[in-house]
Formats: sequence, C-alpha cells, structure tokens
Amino acid sequence: MDYPLSKHVEYMEYALKLARHALDHGETPVACIFVDKKTGGIVSYGMNDTNNSLAGTSHAEFVAIDRIKNQFSSTFDKFEDIIVYVTVEPCIMCASALKQLGILNIVFGCGNERFGGNGTVLSINNDTCTKLPANTVNSDSNRQDLILPGILRKEAIMLLRFFYVRENTTAPKPRTKTERKLDRDTFPDIEWSKYIDEITFNKVFGKDNSGFYKDQKDIFGESINWEIIENGQDHIIDYMNSQCIEFHQPHYSESIGIGNHKKIKLTP
Amino acid sequence: MVKIKSNPLKIDFVKCIIEDKLLQLKSKVSEDTPDLLKVWTIDIDPRESKYVIELIRNKLQPDDPISFLHIKRIKKLKDKKLLTVILCSEELYENVEDIEALLEMYKDKFSYDNLQCEVSVPRNPPPTREIMLSWSELYWPLNWNGNPNDQILNDYKIDMEMITKMLNIISKKSNELDSGNDRLPIVTAFVNPTNPEDYILSIDERDSTGNILDHSIMSGIQKIAKSERSNRLKNMTQESDELTYLCLNFDVYTTHEPCSMCSMALVHSRIKRCIFINQMNKTGCLKLHSGDSYCMQDNKLLNSKYEVFQWLGDDYKIPKIDDRICC
Repeated sequence: MDYPLSKHVEYMEYALKLARHALDHGETPVACIFVDKKTGGIVSYGMNDTNNSLAGTSHAEFVAIDRIKNQFSSTFDKFEDIIVYVTVEPCIMCASALKQLGILNIVFGCGNERFGGNGTVLSINNDTCTKLPANTVNSDSNRQDLILPGILRKEAIMLLRFFYVRENTTAPKPRTKTERKLDRDTFPDIEWSKYIDEITFNKVFGKDNSGFYKDQKDIFGESINWEIIENGQDHIIDYMNSQCIEFHQPHYSESIGIGNHKKIKLTP
Repeated sequence: MVKIKSNPLKIDFVKCIIEDKLLQLKSKVSEDTPDLLKVWTIDIDPRESKYVIELIRNKLQPDDPISFLHIKRIKKLKDKKLLTVILCSEELYENVEDIEALLEMYKDKFSYDNLQCEVSVPRNPPPTREIMLSWSELYWPLNWNGNPNDQILNDYKIDMEMITKMLNIISKKSNELDSGNDRLPIVTAFVNPTNPEDYILSIDERDSTGNILDHSIMSGIQKIAKSERSNRLKNMTQESDELTYLCLNFDVYTTHEPCSMCSMALVHSRIKRCIFINQMNKTGCLKLHSGDSYCMQDNKLLNSKYEVFQWLGDDYKIPKIDDRICC
C-alpha cells in the first residue's frame, strides 16, 4: 500500500466526520470507510449502530460490509483491494470479520484498549485460526499485509471522550456532569510495536520520524483538528452515499448528475 | 449454594466433567507465573502479634479488595526472633503515610519495624496442592483450601433435560442440512432464560447469501435483534423488565466450536453459556487446544466471561466439515 501519509489523513478525516455524526445520533463515535486502493474510490462506509439496532454486533465495520451487499452491490467480492479506515482499532470480532473477507489493509486512529483485535488485546491479523479466504494472495501465510495505527489518533480519542462525559441516563446512578471533566490536553503514549514493526513504520512515516516509534509518541505532535470533531457533520452521509454510488454504479450516477464529488460542496 | 456432597449431579472434579457428558472448558491457569500482587508488611515481636491481628481484623481486611484466605498472614523470620506480618494489599493503601497514620493509632499496643511494600503474593488461590507448595516456596507461604474450581463446578445450574432437548434439535437440523448437500451443516440455538420454550434457531447462511460472514451465530444474533426491534415497535408500553437486552444471560447451543468472530460476538452479546458438540481443531476459539488457544470465554485480557461446555460422547452425530472452515 503506497499511499502517501497525506492520503491516509484525508480518508481518516471522512471516517472521523462519520464518527462525529454517530455521536450526534446517540451512538458510540466509531466509524469507518472502505476505500478501493486501485481507484481511490469509496466503496462503503459505516458507523456504530449497536444502540439503534439492538444487536451487539452492529459495529461500524459490519454496517459497512452489510451496506455493500444490501445497498450497492450484492455481488461485490473485491475485498482484497480494500483499505479499511476506521477511527478506532477493530475489536476482535471485527478484526476477524475483515480477515475472513480477505481485506489485507487496515488503518486506524487509536487503539481499542478493551477489545482490540489488531494488536492491543489479540493480533488476529497474524494468527493461524482466523482464515483468509482460500483464493487470496496471502492465503499461504494467512497474514494480512498492513495494520497501520496512529492516523489522527488524538481526534479519535477525543471523540470517545466526548461520548463518555455525556450523561448516561440509563445507568442506575447517573453521575452529575460536574464530576466528569473533559481532558483535552493529555494523551497516553502509543505503543507502536504492538501493531507495526519499525521497518514498516519508517516506510510509512519516513526515517526522520523513527524517534516517534521508540519514544511511543504521536506522529502528529500536539496538533488536533478540532474543526472535524467539534462540529456537526450533517452533510457527510449524503456525500458518502454519492461517493459509493459513483464507485458501484458510475453510469447511474452520471445519468442523474450526482456522484462527482467536485461538484458537491461540503460545509465544514 | 449447594454443598458439594449433596449436589444431585455427578461431577468429576478432576476431569471437570458433569454427568459424564459436559466437559467444562476454561483457559489454563498459569502454573509458572501467578498473577502477583504487592502487599504491605511489618516485622513485629511475636508477643505482640495479637494486637496486630486485631488491627488487621478491624481496620484492614474488611475493606481490602483482596481476600487473603489463601495466604498465610504471618511468616517467621529466620535467625531473628521476629515475625513478618502482611497488613493489607497495595490496592487498599497506596501511600506509606496512610499506613503509618493507622499504625500510629496502635503505638501503645505494639511496636514495629521495617514497614514496606516489597513482598509479592499470588492474587488468586493455587489450583492444586503441588502448585500451592511451589508458590509457597517461591513467593510467600500459602494455605491449601482445595481447588477453587471445585466450587465453580458445584455451583453451575445444569438442566440436563433442557440441554439434551436443545442438542437433539440442533443435531437433527444439522443432519437435515447435510443431506441437502448445498449448505454447511452448522446450526445454533439461542435460548432466552425468561422464555426458554421460544428458542431461536439459526443456520449457516454463507452459501445462500454469498456473504462469507453469515455464520450461524452471527445470523442468530441478528435474528434476535430484529425480533426485539419489531416487538418494541409493536408494543410501546412494554415494561422495561420485559425488554431483551442484546442476548443477556442467553444459553447458546451450537453444533461446531465457534471461530474468533463468533466467539467474540458472544462476548459482545453478554450470553451466559455456550455448549457445543464438535471441536474445530484449527479454527475453534473456545477449547484450550483449538486454534491459537484464545479461550475467548475467559481470556484474561477481556473483561467479559461466559461458561463453555463441550458435549462428550457420541449421542449426537454431527456431520464433519473441512477443518479450515471458521464456524
């Protein structure tokens, strides 16, 4: 996967906007987009939907997978070409699903401390019991290609913090808001070696940045793109839908005059 | 809690088998490296020990998050005529000042020396007498109160009639699917404890939907969510205690040992118990010797737990499938 860092950031920004949208609609702010690495087109997108669907399995990745099958293309099978951009490391269940589909590249923002399946708790991407499809290029090694953490990590963490300081009215004893302070300044270190080896790290981020690997520091320094995570993202869904239609049904989108993303203006 | 002797169920506490049929599956307790915990200790004169015990009994043990039942409180110091006593865990008091302040209240009753938080003890009771002896040697003297798993085995609520009924249903369905020959014969039944008669049956759908992820467990979880959604829409006045939350406390019966995706989906769904029939050597994630030995039901790194049993014997003949298939 030879995308420059700026491209990873660009795609992750869409995922973050979707996560913000999820937050504004009563869901855990985790979201993802599926990108076709050959064309750069957006194949699908998903936001966490567990509260609405009443299913503990409706994580963003599953919503994106189901969307491909149900909404855009029931025969789609080119999962090998997909890069998944997800704001939070996939949980074990989702990491397993992505691997069984044959998806080889996963980029995420922050680690998933409780359930992470791509390095934090287990490393499904390198295990033997979760099988890649028999016909993929990697089926002999049974390993996925690239797990890339730390892309807009602070933004992903902040969205989760926004979620946890909100009052949970269903809890037996809701804590008052004054008890919970939103920490906007401090972030835990990132243990890069759990997810990625140093050689790959240098290849993606440049050798000049290898110090970040050893020091377990965030690659983007202190900067946080507050614009994306603090503002409502009402237009992101329409934009994503038009992008997906353009990918799956280019002729259709041309004929009705939607889908060309240059024509659609996104308000921040 | 039934006393072990009066339990009507036949339990093999060594092999962990109930009624000769249900094999309890758990992750392995590490015998070499127990989970260790730092404790506060002081050295005292043996003649004053009863006052120290009084302090522990009244001021420390009641609030300590750690039960010290498996740990001896007192150790004789070699050469010197002194005792080293464990006061409490580091989890009760982090700061030396707090401990000192407490000891200050007892300064008329006993004197002490060498207050420190350097000793490490095993957090959990040792699983066997041999391990108890080896840990006592390595860390700190321990007590032997029997295998803690004996009590766990004894406390399981087992309804053999219900279990055999459900296993009969899924194995029958599995064989039906196999004879049709175009579908994987993997079947799961979900049983809601509040409504056990209305079980939900689900089958592997990957060949009919073309979605490789439509395993029987994933399909079942979605089925349950869908029916709960329509119930809630139909009946807006439903009492909150009648609502089903995910698959909370469900019993799940399945023909083949679940894969990493499905075993984790069961964690997310908060089920109580999973019973399966056929082991999946390479792709299974519940049995210690299956796949990568994840033991997803009580992996130490995950905070959720469910009970798992494998049905032993050949009462239910399940079609064998390719051992590379994730179920």
